[in-house]
Amino acid sequence: MTLQVLDPTNETAPPPGQLALRPAGLAGKTVGFISNGKEGTTAFFAHLDRMLRETLGVASVISRVKSNYSAPADAHIVAEIQGWDAVITGIGD
Amino acid sequence: MQLTSKAYDVEDIWAVQEFYHSKGWTDGLPVVPPSPDAVQACLEWAMMAPEQLVGIEPVRGVAITAEKLAINAVMAGCLPMHFPAVLTAFTAMLQPEFLLHGATASTGGCAVFVVLNGPIRQELGAVGGFNALGNSDRATMVIGRALRLALINILEVRPGGIDRSTLGHPGKLSFCVAEDEEDTTWLPLSVQRGLPAGVSAVTVMAAGAPRQIMNEWTTRPEEILETFAAEMRANLRHYSLHGGNYALIIPKQLREHLQSAGWSKTDIAAFIHERARVYRREWAEVGKGAVVRDRGDSIYPALGSADDLLVIAAGGPAGGFGAVIPPWLGHKSRAVTLPIGACVDCEPPKQ
Repeated sequence: MTLQVLDPTNETAPPPGQLALRPAGLAGKTVGFISNGKEGTTAFFAHLDRMLRETLGVASVISRVKSNYSAPADAHIVAEIQGWDAVITGIGD
Repeated sequence: MQLTSKAYDVEDIWAVQEFYHSKGWTDGLPVVPPSPDAVQACLEWAMMAPEQLVGIEPVRGVAITAEKLAINAVMAGCLPMHFPAVLTAFTAMLQPEFLLHGATASTGGCAVFVVLNGPIRQELGAVGGFNALGNSDRATMVIGRALRLALINILEVRPGGIDRSTLGHPGKLSFCVAEDEEDTTWLPLSVQRGLPAGVSAVTVMAAGAPRQIMNEWTTRPEEILETFAAEMRANLRHYSLHGGNYALIIPKQLREHLQSAGWSKTDIAAFIHERARVYRREWAEVGKGAVVRDRGDSIYPALGSADDLLVIAAGGPAGGFGAVIPPWLGHKSRAVTLPIGACVDCEPPKQ
């Protein structure tokens, strides 16, 4: 006997995010870091900071740490992103 | 009642299983075919329109409709009478303080622990006796499973997808218990947490796996509770220093000693709050000395306050076994308690 059954998924996908324009290069730019604040992020971002300045000529690196590593970045951090040319985020388990 | 979900014609019940498994729509176990009639019956029982919003997941902005939740409830084995508990539990999970996205995406691998209180337990045949944390009865099993299937299908919480759990635990299939209110003198959990007596309620908590304890060699409340506190200290040492909501499952054999000595849930929580705490330096004893640094003398309580403890009467009549159910991530996710089908703080109608 044929059964009629229903789709259990959320068929209405949320609107896709839009990627920001990519900078042609990082020389002279401002790069922001958003860390989740876990132990492993400290050394990783410190190394990345040096690399960006010394190798790629980044003018300024701004580091921010989320107040809760399992929640989205705090609103004040998100607001700051507008002043940055690029942002790097990551976890540090 | 107009359902809007895409419908599929499938040959028979066996084909349904293969179809749903192939789509990634199951938890690995067989599912009940979610026919339009079965889904409509759930919605009618709860008096909800299919398109009615249960809520919106706060981080990803995903709308949860009653229809989609009902489909997953039917798949889990729910009868219509189980659906209001599923609805209430999911509504509780969508409260911002529960931090649902973090809890379901975390490498920490927690599950949603659900506690049923009030008259609905008896209406559903949900019992908190034998095998309370296992397959004690149909109602708790299917209600817990419905939540997990809804996470998988509506919020895409699949292993390797949104769900980044390193290990997870068996409670991620179903993790629901009914408090044994009839066999205790204590107030129900929902009443301890501020709801009126006699109101059916659901409490949800983002929780790690149960840690079982045993103490059958004393009748003194302080000694019984010291065993629970020691297990919480072990969790602080071996898992996370951060305090939050912990649940204690206390079975009849241990309850009777506590009750006959006049200890209430409030007394238990006050004792545990004082005893379940560690120094940061203790991490050096369990291989985690690298992060002690100069903060070795800092004290880390398991509970931010005594109110953070969820004391639950449940378990079979014999055996001095209890369980500590630890939080997923300290205080960053908070347990939420909501009434089922009642608005206990609504404004009275204006004249």
